[in-house]
Order: sequence, then structure tokens, then C-alpha cells
Amino acid sequence: MKTLITLVLILYPLSFIKAQDASEIVKRANDKINGEESSYSEMKMTIIRPEWQRTLELKNWTKGTEYALSLITAPARDKGQSFLKRGSEMWNWNPTISRMIKLPPSMMSQGWMGSDYTNDDILKESSVVEDYTHEITGEDEIEGRLCYRIKMTAREDAPVIWGYQIRWIDKENYLFMKAELYDEDGYLVRTELGKNIKIMDGRLIPSVLELIPEDEEGYKTIVEIEEIKFNISIDDNFFSQQNLKRVR
Amino acid sequence: MKNYKMAWRNLWRNRRRTIITASSVLFAVFFALLMRSLQLGTYDSMYKNIIESYSGYIQVQDEEFWENKIVDNVFEDTEELRGDIIEDTNVEDVIPRFESFALASSGSRSKGVIVMGIDPQKEKLLSDVEDKLVKYRLTDEAISTIKSEDIPDYLVKNMDLFNGNSYSSDGSLQTDLGIKDKDVATLMPLFKKYAGVDNGYFSTGDNEVLVGDRLSQYLELVKGDTLILVGQAYHGHTAAGKYVIAGIVKIPNPDIENKIVYLPVDVCQNLYYANGMLTSMVVHLKDNNDDAIDNTMNRLASSLDSPYRVLGWKEMNETLVQQLDADNKSGIIMIGILYLVIAFGVFGTVLMMTAERRREFGVIIAIGMQKTKMAMVMVYEMLYIGLLGILAGVAIALPSIIYGYHHPIHFPSKFAKMWEDYGFEPVMAFQWIDKYFLSQSIVVAIIVLVAVIYPVVKIRKMKEVNALKA
Amino acid sequence: MITKTAWKNVWRNKIRSLVVIASVTVGIFAGVFAVGVMNGAIDQRIDEVIDNEVSHIQITHADFRANNDLACNIKDVSRIEESISGLEGVQAVSDRLFVVGMANTASKSTGVNIIGIDPEKEKEIFGLDKELEPRTGEYFGDPDREELAYIGVDLAKNLNIIRYEINDKVIGELKSAELPVEIISEIEKYSGERFDNERSFKKAMRSVLSDKNESEYGKLIMEKSQTFRERAKFTLTFVDSHNQQTGGVFRVGGLYNIPNSMFESTQVFVQDRILRRLIEFPENTAHQIVIRLKNVDDTRAMTRKLRNDFPGLEVLNWKQIQPDMAMMSDFAGVMYGFFMVIILAALAFGIVNTMLMVVLERIKELGMLTAIGMNKKKVFRMIMTESVFLSLTGGVSGMLVSWIIIKLTSTRGINFGSLQEGFEAMGFSSHIYPEIGVDFFLIVTVLIIITGILSSVYPALKALRLDPAEALRTE
Repeated sequence: MKTLITLVLILYPLSFIKAQDASEIVKRANDKINGEESSYSEMKMTIIRPEWQRTLELKNWTKGTEYALSLITAPARDKGQSFLKRGSEMWNWNPTISRMIKLPPSMMSQGWMGSDYTNDDILKESSVVEDYTHEITGEDEIEGRLCYRIKMTAREDAPVIWGYQIRWIDKENYLFMKAELYDEDGYLVRTELGKNIKIMDGRLIPSVLELIPEDEEGYKTIVEIEEIKFNISIDDNFFSQQNLKRVR
Repeated sequence: MKNYKMAWRNLWRNRRRTIITASSVLFAVFFALLMRSLQLGTYDSMYKNIIESYSGYIQVQDEEFWENKIVDNVFEDTEELRGDIIEDTNVEDVIPRFESFALASSGSRSKGVIVMGIDPQKEKLLSDVEDKLVKYRLTDEAISTIKSEDIPDYLVKNMDLFNGNSYSSDGSLQTDLGIKDKDVATLMPLFKKYAGVDNGYFSTGDNEVLVGDRLSQYLELVKGDTLILVGQAYHGHTAAGKYVIAGIVKIPNPDIENKIVYLPVDVCQNLYYANGMLTSMVVHLKDNNDDAIDNTMNRLASSLDSPYRVLGWKEMNETLVQQLDADNKSGIIMIGILYLVIAFGVFGTVLMMTAERRREFGVIIAIGMQKTKMAMVMVYEMLYIGLLGILAGVAIALPSIIYGYHHPIHFPSKFAKMWEDYGFEPVMAFQWIDKYFLSQSIVVAIIVLVAVIYPVVKIRKMKEVNALKA
Repeated sequence: MITKTAWKNVWRNKIRSLVVIASVTVGIFAGVFAVGVMNGAIDQRIDEVIDNEVSHIQITHADFRANNDLACNIKDVSRIEESISGLEGVQAVSDRLFVVGMANTASKSTGVNIIGIDPEKEKEIFGLDKELEPRTGEYFGDPDREELAYIGVDLAKNLNIIRYEINDKVIGELKSAELPVEIISEIEKYSGERFDNERSFKKAMRSVLSDKNESEYGKLIMEKSQTFRERAKFTLTFVDSHNQQTGGVFRVGGLYNIPNSMFESTQVFVQDRILRRLIEFPENTAHQIVIRLKNVDDTRAMTRKLRNDFPGLEVLNWKQIQPDMAMMSDFAGVMYGFFMVIILAALAFGIVNTMLMVVLERIKELGMLTAIGMNKKKVFRMIMTESVFLSLTGGVSGMLVSWIIIKLTSTRGINFGSLQEGFEAMGFSSHIYPEIGVDFFLIVTVLIIITGILSSVYPALKALRLDPAEALRTE
């Protein structure tokens, strides 16, 4: 498979074919993450700042790209807080005050729970496949794996704030190894890294994700997946406000 | 005889002329001083009002906070820090503040708000929130109930105009509704009964908040209801708390009033997981004049090192400083025009005087006095007149300004209300005696001296023969 | 008869009278002209607010202003607009959608007010299209390009759409602006570097320039280093009429620049139809109806009329929407009055002095007049009339001169270049067109006459107390 693609790339240097391949590559890599119907995972999120550091432990349930529910299980201060996403809406249950609050977008402009995950990331409005045009610009080695370097340029009318992205996709397993997100003027705004590739629930995935924003020194968010189960059976009404309160 | 002696005698030979000329100088000085005092006093009180009600003159903050006002940029409020600041000779006290943002929710509605943690007692020296508690609200219900009572016609009409308004003082209610003095005693109890708002201030020190009037209306909450605050705390934790509304306040700035929540500072620190920390500390001074402020700032800046930063009111209120500057410049232009008028008055008087005395000069020179000596005598005469006028002007201005200082001019009630709504004191105040006394007097002195040139020149060019014929 | 005598008396001592008249002329001219300048400045500011921000009258749903809730809208808008545009005195009417939301770029986000307008109709009411910052695009060029938005320069800065870059072109411009050579060489160290936002740019500048240099030249350097990408992309997110979160991608069509930076950093203008679609609003519904009148003086009357016509809606005029403007213009009126009174008082003393001299000089003559039987009242009146003549002559010529000069400068304007920063900080332009109303001249005339009368009181009383016998004996 790999040889075939390389041959094609060498023998037919037509941008048309290149573009098609690039898009396919991106689609395959994307399907690996978002193609699952549902998932359950337990993860650790570490927020690193120059002056401090904090680690949260979470349980996550997702169904398609529309529904997601997260429960914070540690540390004690934040334990019991849960978040529900339905489409483009977010709710939050806070046991300290026993209240459910609908979160407006302005609340999340600072990053979810103080991390570098923005509103955009969580609501995942855009698609790396649909909203960009793709082009292979070369090859690099990331974490010991040979990757396609693909430049993804945002389509004119796509709902993305990025100008373009450069993504490194592992040639062998179609894993997103690294991403650099740029705005239209070519300023690097964020870098994402996939590390510790492991087999979890029968699939090879990066078990560690690092998010590094560019405009502040020493800021980083690290997500480590401790456990993940794909395609669990889960009902739509699991993702409800009532369940938000009850989930453990 | 010595020139100066002759000059002095000349003055008193023709008393009324001397007095008339000196009085034009006197009034020049008097008016200039009065107008300048009024200008400086009014600007001062306006700007002082703004500064003293919010930022204060000097603040201590974490060095990163001013550029990036996030909750992580707080500093530790230590005994040592307080001690270092208070031991300064010009410092009266320190007033703590904790400011941040949160989402306020009443269950049915939520809104992003500014959260201000204040010291319930000490804050009275600054924004005096207790003074701004809402006392009356003209709801539809209140208005219709009051209308059913026996009230004057003008009141019926006015109440409809101000339907929905809230008031934090008797005075502003009366002004808006145009309640005549004679009706105050009969009408105010009605308002207290039907439009009065049950209100209160921080009392128990536990989870109490004060909410801006418009915010409370949007969230549909009143005193005693529960308010939820959720936000981001120190080091990324989640800030979340439930509070009881202790009171509702009316803030001069409507843009702030619809998004402000006040908490006692320790309760606020708890909410943001930042116990013992503050976003800013306002330094309350004993002496507020410019020099004292600058000196105190320099002293504090040198004694307080990183991670603290000392900020002055000019840095914290840049737009205000520019406005002050522009106001000042336009004020100077107005005074300049006044001086123009005055100068003409003085020149005019001197001109007349010279014209009248042509014969006198002619005679004196004809009998042998040198022109130069004559001119010198004139100069001395003018100097004396100028001096007399200035001293007399100052002498009259002093008590007037002192009186004005203690009795500022009050605006008529319509203006007054608008100023008060903006948080200004509705008066035109006079500035106490200051450098401007000296500078204005000097300007007048210069005008007098310039005025002397005319008679001196005239004398030198004089042909005695013609003068005698006058 | 007294009038004629008084007039003749005035001219008996030409020099003295001319001096007084001249000083009154100068005083009145200076005062009226200064008031003309201040008045012009304030009127300009008010015009600017009306033309760019508020217009004369706005109609909204009764509860709209409290919290800008999407649901508080006006139905049946075209019928309302039709009836208003038919009214005498109305120049133009239009409507707008108003949605509170967030604007986001890759690196920043901030709260904004999104206003859906009909760009062509708005031009009849607002002048924001004329406030386009040069070289930043245009005001809604192609109507088919729905994603174009018109935003303020300050907002562009806040969203990092305006960035800073030091390159050869910038250095060249700084050189021709005569920046000191040492400073240019310091800045050249950063040649080729791009700065994402104002904060990092300022930080870099502060690291190579002394505090003093930074405060003096900092602004100029920043101005020249600004770069702006045309059609920059940003997203707007907000809640629609079903309380669902929605939004879209927009591009900056052009930047506007007005003195009010609060306005500039929050108001985003987009085409009505794209906003309407996104919030799922039916046709003929809007949040604000904006009305421009032919004459600003009709505001009060029209407000009252519209309140009567539309009792269920809230009708507000610019004074009520921006009470600080109203405060300024009312306060200014008081200040002018005060100012003129002080000038007149200063002039009055000059007149008193003169009249006193007049009286004292003519002791003999006055004594004679009284001796031959002239009524004391007539003497009093004569002196008073002389005084009024002096002040009126000076006053009228002063007003004439100031009227001419104001007329001359009102079209071309005066440039207060050196005071520019101060003026602009207050929201005033530094190029002012003086203006005075006829009623002001009338008031001044009345005040002058009063001054003349009051100034004559003391000297006239002195004249009355003369003992005719004594007077006749004087030399």
C-alpha cells in the first residue's frame, strides 16, 4: 500500500491526483478519531503554566459528534462537576452549588476548565475533511514514524477561524502525529502533538495529546488517555440534563 | 527730589485719578483670580469625584495585573506589605479589592458579570456602595396605587414619565418628579409606603452579595433571593458559589450597573480559591494634593519591590488625564481672553490719563525737568498704581474665594440631577489659595508694565510748545 | 432731547470715548468669538454622535434596552416605517437587527454587538460610511458578498486583526517623519519581525527605547508599523431566536474610525439578510427603528408625536440615549452665559471709571445745569444714556466684527493643531467650525445694555449729589 502510494506520487506529479490523495489521507486519519459511533474513555488532563500545574481526571462518553458528556473525578475540589454537550449547546452541573447552568459561548473563551481547549475545540463545529483543501507538501519523521506533511487550507466559506493547518499524518497507520494551526497571516497560533502511540481497545492511537498555544510562554495542556472503549452501546437519552446530575 | 518720592506724591496729588486707575487693575486681578479659582475648583471636584470613587490615587497590584487582568495575577496580602505601606507618613489606610468576572445565574437567566470583592466598611471611603442602595422604585403597581391616593395633578403626569426608574435618595426622586417643597411632607410617606424598596447592606458577612439594579431586574431577583456565581478561579479551578442577595444598588454608570455584583472581599477570595490574595490595594492618603501624591508614589515605589507594582491615578485613568488637560487648556484660553479685555481696560485708562496730563507734562518739562526724569517718574507712578491695584485685588479676592470655598455654587436642580446621576457632585467649587494667585498677579503686573510704555514714549516725543497749548 | 445731548457728550472727548468703545469692542469680540468656537466644537461633537452613532430618534420594543434580548423586537416594521417616513420633518427611516454575541479570531475573542443593516438605506441616516479608515477596504462593496462586515479600528486591534511589523518600508517612513537617527537604529534591530498584537509590540519597543523616548515617539512608531490584512477572517457566534447557538464566518470589508472608542470596539455591522437568516427571524421584524430628521431642532416635538403614535413602543431621542451629550450642550449654554457675564463685568468697570471721570470733569457744567433748573432725574438719565451709548457702540461693533469673522471661519474652519490630542481625547475634532446663533447675539445685546445702565449708576448718583453752588465755584 505504502509502495503504491509512493509510486503514484513519483510517477504522477499532478496536483489533482496529489490533492485527492491528500484528502483521502486526511479522511482516513480523521475517521480513526471521529469515525466511531460512540466511545467511553478515562483520561487525565494536565494544565501546565509557568507558575503552576494542575491535573484533572475525567470520564468521557461520546456519541457521534453531536453528543458528549464529561465527568470530573479528581481532584477533590472539582470532583463531581459534569459537562454536557448537545449539538452546539453546553450545560454544566456543579455539585458544590447544586445547580445546572447553561454555558454561553463567552464563558468558554478562556478555555475549558482553565485549559487550552477552546470553545471551538469542544463544540467541534468544523471538519478537517470538509472545510479544507489538502495538499501533500512532503515527508517528515515524527516520534520515529514517517509521516506525510499535508497542508490544509481553509475553504473560503468554511466556518473555521484558522487560515491553514499543517498536519503530519503517519504513513503506516494514518495517525495524526502533529498539527500546526496558523491564521491567515501565517502566524502560528497553536501546535498539537500526538505521543505514546499504543494499542487501546484494539486500535492504535496516540494515548497522549499535547496542546501548545504559541502566544504565551510556558503554556501547555496534556491529555493522557488511560482507558478507552469504542462503540459502546449508549442511548441518546444518556446525554440529558437529568443524567448530567446523576452520572457517576 | 528722588524719583520715587516724587512719583508717590504725584499719585496723591490727584487722588481720584489714582484711585480710578488703580481700581481698574484691582478689578482685573480680582476677576482673574475669581475665574481661575472657579475653573480649577470645578475641574478638581469633577475629577476628584471620579478618581476617589473608583481607582483612588495610588494602588498596589501584582506587577502583571495591569496589563493582563486575569485572576491568576493576584498578589498576597501580607501583614508585612500592609505595614510597609501604612508606615509611610502620608498614608492613612489601605483598602483591599478583589475584582474578577463570573457568570451570574438566577436559574431562569444568566449573564456575564463583573465581580467586585470589597471591604464593606473601608469601601465607603471610595465608591461608597452603601450610599447607593435603592430606596424607591416606580413600578407600574406602585404608580397606580399612588395615583389612587389624593395627589396633585403634576405628580400624575410626572410619574408616568419616570415609570420604571429607581432612586437611591429622597432628593433625586423629588427632583425627577418635580415634587414641590410644600408637598414633600405629605407625598414622601406615600412613596415610602408604595414605592419603597426593601433593601440592606452587608450584615452577616457570610455569603451575601449586592447586585446592580438593572442586573437584578434582568435576572428577576430581589433582596433575599439566591444568586449563583460561576467562573474561573485561581490556577484554573472552577469558581462556583451560591449567595443571598442582601441589597440592590444604583450605580451612576448604567453600563456597569447592569453587570455588577459586590461581595465582601473575604467571601470573594473564597469563591476564587485565592484566600489571602488581592487583585489590588487602594492606598488611602492623608494629603491629596498633586505634590503629596507624587512624593508618596515615589516613596512607595522604591520601598515595594517585585512582584508588586505601584500605580498612580494618572496611569490608571489615562483618558481622564487627557480630558483634564484639554479642559485646563480651554480654561486658560478663557482666562487669556479675560486678560485681553482687562489689558485693554488698563491701557485705556492709562491712555486717558496721559492725554489729560499733557499740559501738566508740558509745563514741567518747560520749566526744566529732563524728559528722562519725567519718564522715570511716570514709570514709578504706574508701578505704584499697579502694586496698589494688585494688592487691593488680592485683598478682596481672598475673602471672596475663602467664602466661595466653603459655599460652592450649587447647580439648579435639573442640572444637579444629571450630574448626580453621573456620580458628580453638582457644584461649582472654588480652588483654595495656591500657585495660581502668584501667576495671575504676575500677569497683571506685566500688563501694567507694558501699559507704561505708552506714556513714556509719549513723553519722550513730546514737543513742549504743543503741550502747553493743550 | 436728552438722547441727542447724550450722544453729543459722548463725542466731546474723542480719545477717551474711543478708548472705551475700543475696549468694549475687543472684549465683546473676544467673548463672542470664543463662544462661537466652543459652540462650534460642541455642535460638531453632537453632530458626530448623531450622524455616526445614534441618529435623532430611535424606536425599540419597550423592554429592549434593558438587556438587548433578541425576543424584544418590533413587529410589522414596514408599516411603521411607512407611516413615519410620511411625516413632515423626517428625512429618512430605516430599521436594524441587533444581536449580542462574540467575535473570534484564531488568537482572540471578545464580546460585540452585531448590527444587521441595509447598507444603502443606512447611508441616508448615518455617516459611518464616510468614516472609513483609508486603505482598509470599503463600506460594503459588493452586495452579493454577504460575509463582509464593517468593524471599528479598535475592534480590529483587540482581535489581533491589526498587527505590527517592522520592515524597510516602515523604517523609510519613520526616517521621512524625522525620527531621531539613534532611535531608528534601535528599532532596526527588529527589522523583519512581526508582532501578533499591541502588547508584544509595546514590550519590544520598551526593551530598546528609554521611557522618555518611548512616550514621545512610541505612538508614531506604532502608527507606521501597523499592518492590516484586507478581508481578514473572523467568526461571529451568538444565540438565535430559538435559543440555539449559531454563528458564521465573516470577513472584514472595511474599518471605520470614530472618536468614540467604546462604540468602535463593540459595534459590528453586517448585512441585514445574513443576520436575519442566521437568527431565523421572519421578515418585517427588527430591533431598532432609526429616524433622521431634517432639522435637529425638531427632535423634541417629533419625539412627543411619535410617542403618541406608538404608545406600546419606546421612543427615545439622542439626548435621552446619550444623556452626557445633552448634559454637555446644556452645561455649555450655562458656561457661555457665565463667561459673557464675567467679560461684561470686567468691561463694566472700565465704563464706570470712564463715566466717573466724565462726571467729575463736568462738575462745573453739571452744577450749572442743575442751577438753571434741570431736573435731577434728567441729569441722571443723561448720564445713563451716555453710558449706554458707549457700551452699545462698542458692543455693536464688537458683535459685527465677531459675526464677520465667524462667518468667514465657519466654512473653512480653524485648525487647533497643537491642541489636537487634548481635543480628540474629549471626543472633539481639532478642526473646528465656529458657529453662533442669532439668539445669542440678541442676549449679548441685552446684556450690554444692562451693563451700560448698571455702570452708570454710581457715577450718576455722584452727579446728583453735587451741590450746585459748590460746583459752580470749582475751577
